[in-house]
Amino acid sequence: MISNLGLLFLVAGSLCTFFAIFIFIKDNIIQSSIVYKNFFVFYKISFFLIFSAFVFLVISFAISDFSIISVYENSHTDKPLFYKISASWGNHEGSMLLFILVISFYGLLFLLSSKKINITLKAVTIFFQSIVQFIFLFFLIFTSNPFAKIYPIPVQGLGLNPILQDPLLAIHPPFLYLGYVGFSLVFSLLLSALVTNQYNHNWASISKKWVLLPWTFLTFGISLGSFWAYYELGWGGYWFWDPVENASLMPWIAATALIHSILVMEKTRNFFSWTAILTILTFVLSLFGTFLVRSGVLNSVHAFANDPERGVYILFIISLITLSSLIIYILKFPIKLNNKGNFVLFSREFSILLNNYFLMFVLTVVMVGTTYPILLSVFTSESISVGPQYYNTILAPFVFIFLILMASGPLMNWNKNSFFSIKNKLFVFFVISVALTFLISFFVKEDDSIFLLGILCSLYLIISVFYEMFFYKKFIFIKLNFPRIFSHLGFGLLIMAITLNYFFSREITAKIYLGENFSSQDIKIKFLNSTSRQEKNFQELFGSYEITKENKVIILNPSIRKYVQPQQFTSETSIKNDWFSDFYIAMDYASDATTGIGIRFYYNYFVRLIWVAFALITIGGIFSLSIRKNEKKF
Amino acid sequence: MSPASKKRLSYFLIIVIVTLILGKFIFESLQKNTVYFFSPTDLFLSSEKPRGVIRIGGLVKTGSIQAKKNDSVYTFLVTDLKNDIYVEYKGILPNLFQEGKGVVVEGVLKDKKFLLGKNILAKHDENYMPPEVADALKKSGNWNKKYD
Repeated sequence: MISNLGLLFLVAGSLCTFFAIFIFIKDNIIQSSIVYKNFFVFYKISFFLIFSAFVFLVISFAISDFSIISVYENSHTDKPLFYKISASWGNHEGSMLLFILVISFYGLLFLLSSKKINITLKAVTIFFQSIVQFIFLFFLIFTSNPFAKIYPIPVQGLGLNPILQDPLLAIHPPFLYLGYVGFSLVFSLLLSALVTNQYNHNWASISKKWVLLPWTFLTFGISLGSFWAYYELGWGGYWFWDPVENASLMPWIAATALIHSILVMEKTRNFFSWTAILTILTFVLSLFGTFLVRSGVLNSVHAFANDPERGVYILFIISLITLSSLIIYILKFPIKLNNKGNFVLFSREFSILLNNYFLMFVLTVVMVGTTYPILLSVFTSESISVGPQYYNTILAPFVFIFLILMASGPLMNWNKNSFFSIKNKLFVFFVISVALTFLISFFVKEDDSIFLLGILCSLYLIISVFYEMFFYKKFIFIKLNFPRIFSHLGFGLLIMAITLNYFFSREITAKIYLGENFSSQDIKIKFLNSTSRQEKNFQELFGSYEITKENKVIILNPSIRKYVQPQQFTSETSIKNDWFSDFYIAMDYASDATTGIGIRFYYNYFVRLIWVAFALITIGGIFSLSIRKNEKKF
Repeated sequence: MSPASKKRLSYFLIIVIVTLILGKFIFESLQKNTVYFFSPTDLFLSSEKPRGVIRIGGLVKTGSIQAKKNDSVYTFLVTDLKNDIYVEYKGILPNLFQEGKGVVVEGVLKDKKFLLGKNILAKHDENYMPPEVADALKKSGNWNKKYD
């Protein structure tokens, strides 16, 4: 019953989107009317219909309506309610519905919030947004209907993958979607501005927040995913250069470049065509990420659909959207903007240009590393994998240069060669950071050149940010630059934390019998005891370990869960911190504790600083949104 | 050539050179860090012994697991039911490593039939077959419906 209602709303939503497009073409294109009331009404209704369809899907999951295939395949009556609900977007069909809901949500938000924007620009933006929305609705209904039925109705569901049964993981897809699907709006806004000849520096002022809003969500979503991988997967790391992680990182890199180039466009009326290309690239990469994750070309917990047909459809949609947007760009890009390529050396826009080159390089590296194995396996049937060392060795030297740029760029003036005015400051920062680096190196007794460079460059950035915070007298300056200060500080801390973590973390794998010890250098692990208990949907075996490191004693209690439906083991890690560092332990499965249990112990140096850094970068994004709103007052 | 086009030409050349250098850099790093996958039959048919770190995959041959000398050195056979590879591995066997189940081992070949395992990849649940292993079994003609 409910599933029928859900499907009804979904189809109605699609029809309504179609009508909105139809009305726009009939009234506003053919009859060139500039009244958009009906069009807007239809668009708003389409949002509410899609929203209702989604609500009905969530309800079907909550009440375990197994007459729906996707509920049957991904849920189970024994599951806690929270995971029943999160299972509704934890599968291909439901997540695509969420995807469309987010597209529609951004359209509605734009429609309601942008009162001062030129009405034609606004309407055409919504027009493009509804086309994107319709394309995906079409895809959803014909290839992956979330309300598809199964008969006879099964009594019990197959269950949700246990590693997905985690609160953080359950909420991270909505944030990621609010992130990268959100780039659809700025994409529509670009096409609209090109078509209506309003692509100029005012467009940059309007669009800025429509890049920053999804960027903030995406940053947060990526942080959540990384944090989840850290404590749930039990491999001790926070980033694995897994293709799925890369799929979300690629649009993030493009959007970060876009945030900077759009600023140049607004302030110096330059970078027009570059910004347009970046806007298209950001959205296309978001779609490409969806393709990678959803088509089943990757082998991971995210690849729900192993149905190549869907992959072909998504690939077709990507090509369609990319081609048509590029055609609009080529035909409609205002020629008079083309020849403004001149800019001053050592000006702020110059450093942003270098920043953009750098980000494009990083993007290329990630893209090659992610797609090369896929392409190779498609064309030659050879199967390979690209190790994390590829990314680390290739990116590290460039990140160091990038940090220096991030430190010096913001001190420069727009449109003016600032080399002489800032060279003294840069020199002072350099001296201070060299001194601090030596101090740290002496303190931790490490003199590897990569380590020293990493610490030096990140300190350089951190010092320059602190300089701006404390030595610039004007309060308004600080207030307006809060977002950048936070995000840049976060990035500096991130690189510093990664460097420290990389050089000082320890990993021990050992098999320990009950009551026995294992020692490795200054770390001693003792297996104290084990207990087990029976939960609603799994059986759990706990181990208790005593870790001794330099007079510090810590008790950790990891466990192994054996899930019944579907049958699978997961390792629950146990983590305790010592200031910024973590003691981290995970057990391997053993049928009987007396035969000895394999453990993986990690001493993760300064790993908490990584989470702090992620938080700061996100906070920067949040601040940017609240400040933009009041910017006109200053 | 006018000064303007000279300037443009020099910009263009700089961009080309920088791109080539970076491209070479990416390519070399990729070459160094790619790990190729082989099935036992692939290795049997290959004329040369692959160098560096590789991955092999197949099923753990039933009855072949042996603990050597002390507890943490294991030897076993990886099979695609046509050819076998002998693997020596020092470390802890992960929970999902079982006789008759799929496995992917990363390591260095000593000779064409002997792999020194460094890492056993078992990130899947107990019913799941790594796609590489499924392909290897299909290639050797021993794919069985029960693995689906």
